[in-house]
Amino acid sequence: MNKILTSFNTFALVLLFLSFVFSIFSITTLKVNETKSIKVNIYEFIEIEEQPKRLVGAKLNETIKEANLNKIEDNSEVKKALDFEKYKLNKPDVKKELSQIKLSKEREVILKISAIIQDKISSAWIKPNSLSKVLATKVLINLAPSGEVINFEMVEPSNDKVFDESVLIAINKISFFEEILGLDRKLFESNFRNFKLVFKSSGEIE
Amino acid sequence: MKRSLIVLILASSNIFSLLEIEIIKGSDNLSKVAFIPFGIEESVNENYGEQISTLIEKNMLLFGEFENLKKAEMLSFPDSEEDFYYRDWKIMGVDYSVIGKINSVNALGNLNISYSLFNINRRIKILEGEIVGRENNIEGIAKIISNRIYEKITGLKGIFDTKLAYIVNSDAETYQMCISDIDGKNEQILFTSSAPIMSPDWSPDRKKIAYVSFENGLAEIFIQDLASGERESIQALGMTNSAPVWSPDGKSLALVVSFSGNPDIFSYSINNKRLVRLTNHYGIDTEPSWSPDSKKIIFTSDRSGSPQLYEINTQSKRKKRLTRDGNYNARGRYFPDGKSIFFVHGNDGNFQIATKKLSSRFIETLTSTSLDESPTISPNGNIIIYATKDGSKGYLGGITLDGKSRFSLPVKNGSVREPAWSPLFN
Repeated sequence: MNKILTSFNTFALVLLFLSFVFSIFSITTLKVNETKSIKVNIYEFIEIEEQPKRLVGAKLNETIKEANLNKIEDNSEVKKALDFEKYKLNKPDVKKELSQIKLSKEREVILKISAIIQDKISSAWIKPNSLSKVLATKVLINLAPSGEVINFEMVEPSNDKVFDESVLIAINKISFFEEILGLDRKLFESNFRNFKLVFKSSGEIE
Repeated sequence: MKRSLIVLILASSNIFSLLEIEIIKGSDNLSKVAFIPFGIEESVNENYGEQISTLIEKNMLLFGEFENLKKAEMLSFPDSEEDFYYRDWKIMGVDYSVIGKINSVNALGNLNISYSLFNINRRIKILEGEIVGRENNIEGIAKIISNRIYEKITGLKGIFDTKLAYIVNSDAETYQMCISDIDGKNEQILFTSSAPIMSPDWSPDRKKIAYVSFENGLAEIFIQDLASGERESIQALGMTNSAPVWSPDGKSLALVVSFSGNPDIFSYSINNKRLVRLTNHYGIDTEPSWSPDSKKIIFTSDRSGSPQLYEINTQSKRKKRLTRDGNYNARGRYFPDGKSIFFVHGNDGNFQIATKKLSSRFIETLTSTSLDESPTISPNGNIIIYATKDGSKGYLGGITLDGKSRFSLPVKNGSVREPAWSPLFN
């Protein structure tokens, strides 16, 4: 019984090995012209040449044919293999893309939380009439991971007493940013443990 | 609607820079103030305590700049700091509380009143004061306390003891030149005529009013002394004189003089009665008004084909066009800080009050009614009162510069036009 099993295993292994070898030989290599490189973006396939960016999508077949595919039969399996090759060719790019996606997702979360904080502070801030004065006050906020305001400090006052006082009143009204709770710890530490609020009397550029 | 866009800056690109969140928009809410009935000592008329806090409350709420906590909702009525607990007011959402006490009244009828203002969110006392005033002038005392509280909260001068001048046109043949307190009380009729009266303007010391009267058939400028009631025609040269405006230093009047039907801007020195020509153009130049430093004059001119605002330096006589948007911008006035102007902006047959910073190209319309004219600004630069119409009847409307509050002044018997806000008492 054991013998039968062992020989069956061996047979299966040999078969696996052979199919592997066969598959290696069946993959055609893509020769890339030195003046051209192909960058792959996860969302849209973009081919970068000396010319400006061009969408590959529909034109993919055509481009690849032009480049080097006269010998290869036009069938879908080969195309798939070609796509695969392209990923392989640009591994560092893909990694970069992936990390960028991660970054943009973090950015999205930061923006979302920032907008919530902005809204909350805005609704607590009774802005004084500063006439035509252009004023700005910066306040450093120190939060606990629970969202509790541990401390705040006016780091750059505007030196307009009433304006600065209105800012202090607004911050005094808020003791919690509940939305912080449940935020990824790393994101919290790097962005919201300490952050600054910049209060401006008008949207004008100084 | 005057609202800046919210801008968000994210500066998290390196580990050394902190995230910065920009706040430009403020809340649409108003500060909530609790006017707690004043306490009284035994010897004092017991009605005075509540009377004075009610008067202060009425003043502070006059232009819709604050919200109040109703007396019925108050948890306690402290009249001294020892009895004052911040939490009682914090839970009611109060931002500021006013307490006070009438300590004594002497044989001459003088009241001694002490008062305090607390900032509930910051848990600090921000104002403490004492005032002595006559028993029969409790309104005047309340105005002084209101001014101090207002100034402490807003950083702007209190305006509760200012006055308003205006023209009432009760029927086709009765025109009255009137003044009253800013809350509409104590109206005084200075002059009544069967011919039109126009363009009242206060002297900077609040002792005189200049206005135009047609009593002798032509437009003529009179200066009337408020104390004596004496009127004097300035009798400048020319066919007609109109639109007098006192310079902030009180030495001159800017006015419009028309020689042979062509109105131009002149400056008239009150002491030596000299007339100096400032503009000389075949177009109509009218509605002059001084900059707060008395160095420039803003005026309306149709020299470009439509009424637009111009500024002239009274020394160098150099002119500058101030408005370009739209085909009607008229009756310009400077803000008390001299950095912005407000005027009547016409747009598709609607006439609205607009403002513009002199440093900016953009104009902002403030009002949403359609036939607004003659805007006048409070001396602290926070409120504009203007004449507008409901059908054929004119009344006075008002708006705060942040646009949060719109109000109309009590209706009179007749059409009210051309409001002019008095300067502050010095």
